[in-house]
Amino acid sequence: MNNSTTSPLFRLDYGGKLEREIAKLLAAFEEHKFDTGRYPKRWLAIKLLEADADVMERVQTVPNSASVLALAKQGAEHIKDMLGDDVDLVTADRRYGYINGVVRQSLQRPLMDRITLTDHIDNIVTHKWLGLPVFFAVMYVVFRLVIDVSSPFLDWTDAVINGPIANWFRFILNLTAAPAWIHSLVIDGIVAGVGGVLVFVPGLLILYFFLALLEDSGYMSRAAFVMDRFMRVVGLHGKSFIPMILGFGCAVPAVYATRTIASRRDRILTALLVPLMSCSARLPVYVVFGLAFFGARAGTVIWAMYALGILVAMLAGLVFTRTILKPDVSSAFVLELPPYRSPSMKSVLIHMWENTREFVRKAGTMILASSVILWLLLNLPWGVSEQRDSYFGKVSGAISPLFAPLGFGNWETGGALVTGFMAKEIVVSTMSQIYLGGEEAEVPEATTLGEDLIGIGQGFLEATISSGKILLSIIPGVNLVDEEVEREDTALSIALRNNFTPLSAAALLVFVLLYVPCVATLGAIKHEFGSSWAVTSALYQTAVAWIAAFIVYQGGRLLGLG
Amino acid sequence: MITSCQLHQLKPGQKAIITRVGGPSALRRRFVEMGIVKGETILIERNAPLGDPVEYFIKGYHLALRKEEAAQIEVQLFGGAE
Repeated sequence: MNNSTTSPLFRLDYGGKLEREIAKLLAAFEEHKFDTGRYPKRWLAIKLLEADADVMERVQTVPNSASVLALAKQGAEHIKDMLGDDVDLVTADRRYGYINGVVRQSLQRPLMDRITLTDHIDNIVTHKWLGLPVFFAVMYVVFRLVIDVSSPFLDWTDAVINGPIANWFRFILNLTAAPAWIHSLVIDGIVAGVGGVLVFVPGLLILYFFLALLEDSGYMSRAAFVMDRFMRVVGLHGKSFIPMILGFGCAVPAVYATRTIASRRDRILTALLVPLMSCSARLPVYVVFGLAFFGARAGTVIWAMYALGILVAMLAGLVFTRTILKPDVSSAFVLELPPYRSPSMKSVLIHMWENTREFVRKAGTMILASSVILWLLLNLPWGVSEQRDSYFGKVSGAISPLFAPLGFGNWETGGALVTGFMAKEIVVSTMSQIYLGGEEAEVPEATTLGEDLIGIGQGFLEATISSGKILLSIIPGVNLVDEEVEREDTALSIALRNNFTPLSAAALLVFVLLYVPCVATLGAIKHEFGSSWAVTSALYQTAVAWIAAFIVYQGGRLLGLG
Repeated sequence: MITSCQLHQLKPGQKAIITRVGGPSALRRRFVEMGIVKGETILIERNAPLGDPVEYFIKGYHLALRKEEAAQIEVQLFGGAE
């Protein structure tokens, strides 16, 4: 029915009361010379009575619309008074009533419902006892695949950018006889910044691949069905579980993974809680401090950090649900459990590519910009040689009194925390740089372009092989991966012991766990939900971190642990 | 005998006819969009492992609702337990 002038062959009777209001509106269209444009008149009258938001907005721009809209509103209220229901519910009722009539007359359903493959699968994956174990097994495999399988490629990306690519830039810069500060800006600012963006790409590609598989196959709805009761305790939706699990790997893909949640409110709450899951970047900080201060009990301390993150996330969920993110009707759990399908590879690949590209474009800009800003802070005022005298050192010194009540009010820690905003694992490298003095810049071995390219190719091959080995070791009982021996960085440990007590170290770990999400995570939150939610995330987490570290340090001192 | 009750009170395996769809209008709209309307037959399939939500079979497809939301739907039981 594209043309409003032809009379339709079929017209659904909406019943006397509603038909009278439709007729009144149609008369009003004539009377006010109201131009219905390309819309059929009867259809438009019904939509106006239903108060369809989209149609109302379009109609507002048409001349003489005010009186027509007023009449529609009056008519809708009249219907509601008489029938006790909104017009859109009355019309839907009529339509379904008609459809049911047609179906009853024309369709004969077999008495016994056929048991489909979907039913067989659901008997296992949503089974009373098996449902949860199956879900956790699937999550474990996906988590291992995303985090472990991507890690050799992540190292490879990192090595290529900081090795050959940085060298090529050096080579070109040497040819142009550019001043030293341009060298530094390009290599330490821009190349390092671009590298910081690109290291996420292998993980994101693999993550989106598996998310698309789970979603397109139909398992995602079952996962939500199984987990919903559990997640609802803290105000979340069944579908929030997957992003939360991924948060233990990296918060950036986890924030993007919230896209599978339908309600915006549920997505925002999930994204605000995801960074509290202790991501893999925070582990080096725990390990270095744990070994330096807690020796044999380092494992317990690390475990406690993970548990604390989960606990704080649950509390924060309860608080948000009761304050700025109250559940609304959009959070209602009305979820179709579709039949299982085999996912189309093409759609999975498109999904994977488009989402990753969007990350590089949007979050990438933010990471790159902050990398350049950090470089400027470290190198200004002009010609500064000591870190302490740079703007970076000044800023660190200026904010450090804020940390004094937490037990670590020196500028070195302040500086390490500022750089930790770029990526949390940098906290350790900054401390070692400040306490032990920067390592001498390695003089890169002279290599030819050919050697570089061969090296890149070999590296990729090696990454593929070790990733394959990790893939196989997910099967229980198979272990092809050599455990990396954790080397104790004694020089750094000693330096740390001179500057921290076990209590202030514990407070620092709590602070690092909880404080402002890294710039990449904030970039992702801003990209998905806008600046104000990114700011909310940064502020609430920093406040929570400060309070928690304060409680640990001052509480510990009261108990005489300091 | 015909007994009227709320959807969330039924047990897996029971079958009922929807007699009234209640709740705030935005929720009712969601229900209507999903085909939960007066006169429709609904089969209670299974509870989730933690008891809630519940999976239903309606209009030839599978639908999950929380008990909280299912409580807004009034039904008449179909010939007792089958």
